[in-house]
Amino acid sequence: MAFRKVCKFCERNVERIDYKDADTLGRLITDRGKILPRRATGTCARHQRQLGTAIKRARYLAFIPYIQGYHS
Amino acid sequence: MRDYEVVYIFKSSLTTEEIEGRLEGYHGRILALAGSEITAVEHWGKRQLAFPIDRNDNGYYVVTQFTASPAVLPDFERMLKLDDDLLRHLVVLSEGELPVPVQYERGDEDRGGRGRRDDDEVRKKAADKVPEDGDAAEEETETAEDDAEAAEEAADAAEDDADAVEDDVEDDSDDAGDDDDADATRRD
Repeated sequence: MAFRKVCKFCERNVERIDYKDADTLGRLITDRGKILPRRATGTCARHQRQLGTAIKRARYLAFIPYIQGYHS
Repeated sequence: MRDYEVVYIFKSSLTTEEIEGRLEGYHGRILALAGSEITAVEHWGKRQLAFPIDRNDNGYYVVTQFTASPAVLPDFERMLKLDDDLLRHLVVLSEGELPVPVQYERGDEDRGGRGRRDDDEVRKKAADKVPEDGDAAEEETETAEDDAEAAEEAADAAEDDADAVEDDVEDDSDDAGDDDDADATRRD
């Protein structure tokens, strides 16, 4: 199992996770649109908290789906 | 004064002029209060929505940053809500450059470093002093007490055993006496 030691956002010195960055957020959700857990992504606690907020904002603004592959 | 960021999603059926007109209206409401300032307006243009909103598959995104007093917001947001051609809007505190957290981190490190050093010194002094005289003596007395207690317990246990034995003996003798008496009565 590939194990990521360092948080993606810490590696890039991200101070604030941008809710408008649909590409990054899109990689941190499941194929059903759920937020991936830390144990799957290696995100640190601080950034995981920010990530949750960012994903929820991004959903509201239709950058990423609430639920994927259900309607169609 | 605070830095805010707004994302507007307009219906993509609107023309650019119509959108510009609406933005002017909204921003006029912000600028009505003295000291307010629109710092950036960025047109992302037409974009596909991740899911349909009111049967619209596309939206026209505009991101704006402004500085204003929080008092502006209720009026501003009411105006946004009443606009039927605005599919969605989101007002958040701006997440651009944040000078405050950087200062905070520096101060934190300095304070933390000093604090930790002080604590360590205190702990070292305490650790040096205590085991030489106080602790060792206490440990000795404690062990001595423990031994004494253990001895007492052992003695108690021994006494209990002795009592039990005595009881047994007494019972036996009584029974024997009773039997004798019974035998005697029968003989009589």
